[in-house]
Amino acid sequence: MRRFVMLAVAMMFVFTSVGASLAMEQGNKRKGKYTYRKVYKSCNQRGEVDSTKPPLNPSDKTQAEWEALFDSGDFTPFGCQDEWTNLSDTEITDIFTYMHAHASDSPTPLKCK
Amino acid sequence: MHAIYKNLIMMLAAWMLVAATVPPVLADATEAPGRTMAQQATKSLNIWNTTDHAKHPALQKAFTSGQDITDACLSCHSEADDQIHKSIHWTWQASPDGEEAKFGKAAHSLNNFCISANRMEDKSCLACHPGWGTSTESGINCLNCHSRKKVNWDEAIEDLAAFVEAGDEESLEIAAEIQAELQEAAQDIGRPSRQNCGGCHFIGGGGDGVKHGDLDTSLTKPSKALDVHMGVDGQNFDCVRCHTTKMHNIAGRVYTRPAATDRKSLIEDDLASKITCESCHSATPHAENSKANDHADRVACQTCHIPEVARELPTKMTWDWSQAGQLKDGKPYKTKDEFGKHDYLTIKGKFTWAKNVKPEYFWYNGVIDSVTANDMIDPGQVVPVSAPVGSPADPDSRIYPFKVHRGKQPYDKIHKTLLVPLLSGDDGYWKTLDWQRALSHGQASVDLPYSGQFDFVETTYVFPATHMVAPKENALACNDCHTRNDSRMAGVAGVYMPGRDRFDLLNTFGWVAVIGTFFAVFCHGLGRVFSNGRNGGHG
Repeated sequence: MRRFVMLAVAMMFVFTSVGASLAMEQGNKRKGKYTYRKVYKSCNQRGEVDSTKPPLNPSDKTQAEWEALFDSGDFTPFGCQDEWTNLSDTEITDIFTYMHAHASDSPTPLKCK
Repeated sequence: MHAIYKNLIMMLAAWMLVAATVPPVLADATEAPGRTMAQQATKSLNIWNTTDHAKHPALQKAFTSGQDITDACLSCHSEADDQIHKSIHWTWQASPDGEEAKFGKAAHSLNNFCISANRMEDKSCLACHPGWGTSTESGINCLNCHSRKKVNWDEAIEDLAAFVEAGDEESLEIAAEIQAELQEAAQDIGRPSRQNCGGCHFIGGGGDGVKHGDLDTSLTKPSKALDVHMGVDGQNFDCVRCHTTKMHNIAGRVYTRPAATDRKSLIEDDLASKITCESCHSATPHAENSKANDHADRVACQTCHIPEVARELPTKMTWDWSQAGQLKDGKPYKTKDEFGKHDYLTIKGKFTWAKNVKPEYFWYNGVIDSVTANDMIDPGQVVPVSAPVGSPADPDSRIYPFKVHRGKQPYDKIHKTLLVPLLSGDDGYWKTLDWQRALSHGQASVDLPYSGQFDFVETTYVFPATHMVAPKENALACNDCHTRNDSRMAGVAGVYMPGRDRFDLLNTFGWVAVIGTFFAVFCHGLGRVFSNGRNGGHG
């Protein structure tokens, strides 16, 4: 009985993790690209940063590293916290999808231009 | 004693007189008339236009495609389309005799970097073709060279279409933003800036400073110390200040013909191209009596005034394709060097990078000779994929500085020709790591045979250095070349260079003459001293 419960818990953990990752994958990467750029345009207008160019390129991290960063919910490495705090879950998922799709170990690594 | 002193003083005065009448080796360059003339020729820095493109109704519409923008431009500039289609920027073909194009990226030229554009089969190369998207059939993209806004045009047009098609409120909002950005870019028009030209020419070979050594993104906003002409704290020249244009053909292209066939200065012809140094500085730019002027007919200005290239950013010096394909733990891998540049990539092989590169020097009359994918090679020798043409016997040749890129690339063991691999795409080497497959498809893309047997051969590829002109105080000095040890000109043959070269018989005669002269002067002096002494010091 105990073994069965442990197996069920493990299965639930695996399905939840995979489900969460898949959910993250399902954003709109094209929208994500523009939302990501918009964060830094707004941040630049507010005067916090000198450039509208985002500090991190999709190709700066591997897909696993992007998953870990977005799973943590801590967006400090991106700077411009006011803008990041105001993003909706959908917008964050879109940005994740964009970064993940063009990560350094993806078929199409990309720098922000 | 008084007579002795008098004679010694006279001898000293004679020596000083001789020394004073000998011309200085290099006079003060601030007196250089060539510099003054160049400053006069270029003193008007206020660029002016006769039109404000933002006011043109044709450019105030919401553009939905690249062709839309092109049509708007051509509604006024009716001949531009035809002119661009005939230019090398569009055709990527060159022909020395005006007949069938043998050279150029769209013909059979190759290099020792990514080797070939596969006659435009490699779509990634088309990012630098001045049309829309990755089709050579598309309309010209005028904004590529003339908009002052930095936009990824193809991405913007593709995204615009996708958001319009998606049709939801948020997508349409983003589409409207892209349209506004495109409209703003289409209205902000001018002569090509350093950023426009550099968007391709600074990143030739697929990365910053990869190819040329004297062209990289450090020239987007260079200091005067990096380039006296382009420095933002100096003359602040854009590329088109020297690369003047006729019907969209831009002066300065070096392939099968010299960049300039005559070396006129603007004094001789006020409509002359400004592409050579002499155009503004004249053929005798240094101060009168300066020995440097005597060099100008045999030594290019660039030789002394560009002592090093890649002075701010590193440039690629070697590329060994034979090392490509290695795996680590069964997977492709990459490593970086001290500059943070890749020095190994499984898909590309092994590289070396360098900064502050001293050029190599060759006789050069402005023509570059190339080995194409059609030409037979001797695999037992280093193959000069491109090499300067010139010799000391050619009056148009000068000693000129070059960055030399050394490579190791595939060749056909049976046909004895260099091979063209396909790199990108499903059959490309970067995806398959399969040389046979990549070479078969690559040769097919350029309609050339492949025997199925390949190996790697060492090659060289040259780039004439003409940018990154250093301030005069950093130019080469006489003893950088006229020395027996580590002379810059050590490899330049066919010319006797004092200081570097030795002709024993001539040297012996010279020293005999010098010592004989000293001896004669000494004897004469002694004779005067003693004869005056005998005359009681009344001489």
